[in-house]
Amino acid sequence: MSRKSNIPAAPLFLRLVLWLLAFVTITPFLLLLLTSIKSKADVLQGAFALPAYPHFENYLDAWNAGHFNIYFWNSIIVVIPVVAASVFLGLLTGFAFAYLSFPLRRSLFAILTLGMMVPAEAFIIPLYYEMRYLGLINTYAAVIVPQIAMSIPFSTIFLASAMQQLPEEILEAAVLDGAGRFYILRKIVVPLMMPAMSTLALFLFIWTWNEFLIPFILVNDDAYRTLPLGMLFFQGRYTVNTPVLTAGAVIVIAPLILTYLVFQRRFIAGLTAGATK
Amino acid sequence: MKRSPLDGSEHTNWIYLFPGLLLYAAFVFGPIVAALALSLTSWDGLTVPKWVGLGNYIDLFSDDRFYIALRNNAELMIFYCVLPLGLGIGLAACVWNLKQREQLALRTFLFLPYIMPTAVLGIIWAWLYNPAFGPFNQFLRAVGLGMFALPWLGDFNFVLPAVGIVATWYFFGFCMVIFLTGIQRIDPSLFDAAKVDGASARKTFVWITLPLLMPEIRVVLLLTVIASIKSFDLIFTMTRGGPANATLVPNIYMYQLGFELNRFGAAAAIAIVGALLTFAINFAIHRLVGSKSKGMA
Repeated sequence: MSRKSNIPAAPLFLRLVLWLLAFVTITPFLLLLLTSIKSKADVLQGAFALPAYPHFENYLDAWNAGHFNIYFWNSIIVVIPVVAASVFLGLLTGFAFAYLSFPLRRSLFAILTLGMMVPAEAFIIPLYYEMRYLGLINTYAAVIVPQIAMSIPFSTIFLASAMQQLPEEILEAAVLDGAGRFYILRKIVVPLMMPAMSTLALFLFIWTWNEFLIPFILVNDDAYRTLPLGMLFFQGRYTVNTPVLTAGAVIVIAPLILTYLVFQRRFIAGLTAGATK
Repeated sequence: MKRSPLDGSEHTNWIYLFPGLLLYAAFVFGPIVAALALSLTSWDGLTVPKWVGLGNYIDLFSDDRFYIALRNNAELMIFYCVLPLGLGIGLAACVWNLKQREQLALRTFLFLPYIMPTAVLGIIWAWLYNPAFGPFNQFLRAVGLGMFALPWLGDFNFVLPAVGIVATWYFFGFCMVIFLTGIQRIDPSLFDAAKVDGASARKTFVWITLPLLMPEIRVVLLLTVIASIKSFDLIFTMTRGGPANATLVPNIYMYQLGFELNRFGAAAAIAIVGALLTFAINFAIHRLVGSKSKGMA
């Protein structure tokens, strides 16, 4: 980068402050990790004291007694179809908004963006009764289908604006070669869209993994709860058993931290691309 | 609009549009319209809804608890919006000067809270704040500030800032990342010119960086304001609105009225007021923080 040459060296003091701040920021996570390998007696020694030896059995307790085995699989059973269907539908709808003409185009776009601004809290009551009417309360569908629907505005807008940046000559050439539109979408647009699609999938994974309200309201059977929900009911039962409680929290956030560390550049690039558009 | 080479006849175009829109209409847009209708009725969830017109809204605006919820939400905006924005800009201006690798490392750490589920963060922080064996009070006692070791989430005066700090912690790294890319978007020759003219770092920041960051400031404000109005997970898991309504916000109130007291019409009215508030603030931010205006923070 060209600007490197004229940057003054940051003063040591400032860098110390910044690193201290970074350390304070991740301290809750470090404490969580530390407490999750303590015994109940260790906890009484103080939050910052080290345990004599690591008690990994807390994780087993959380996993088994806390039903985390169920919650973890539920989270995976919910996340995969939500991400796959949202990307697929976003691709179709985004394709339409990027390239195709149809009546009420602007109104439909406005209605879609409305869904991005209105929080789920605003329509959760009718959604609950709709799900009850359809007999879907306490099913995986109750958690999966609304989350696909809720992700359609973002997926559509994100992918449509990425598609608009594809060079038109390639698409024109394909049309001249007589390729059909489904074929062009599958063989030309989708491969070129891979970076945007994987960024979108990453966002959808994190949002879906973290979703609280939808499973909280639409599911009240333990058998269908996802991890954040499991954590809430777990908190009710284990308030006194801090090590097992923190082990549970670590199980919920570990996949997120792993995903974040592996994909962090792509994640932040996508975030800022989406934010400033 | 120029027709794309991929455009086809209208009814074949609908093939692409239809599946997504159908699902969206059935499970998002439909329920939004239904919530609007429901807010004009009185409904217990069992019997036939009774039409009450604007009755729910009138009740709401003569309801003290609703005003408490609105005021708490306004106070929370300091922690959701103002503090993360200010901290984020300041940090971005500092971190920007660092080497690529150090910048990346700091960014990774500071951004970490943002990818976490807020419901789980609420549970973690409830433990951190625990008056007896929570790490927060233990730390205060260890450094000799034991007299400040309060029951944070049980104290009527301190509970709102205590919850608010979690929101600040959650958002400030996110704000910093957005501002960092904003700064990188700015033409470096502007900074060079300022340097040649002998402008101090502070003047460069106030007169060049800040005005040119207006698009990012707008985005950050929009996202954090919306987040503050829809705040539910964090507060529900930490305090459920208590003690004595000290952290009651509209969405918690909506949950109580709807899912605890079965007053679904009134609950829907709160939801609609919240959505309208979001639109109004959204609109105001677009008008006030245009790319031309300056001197926001």
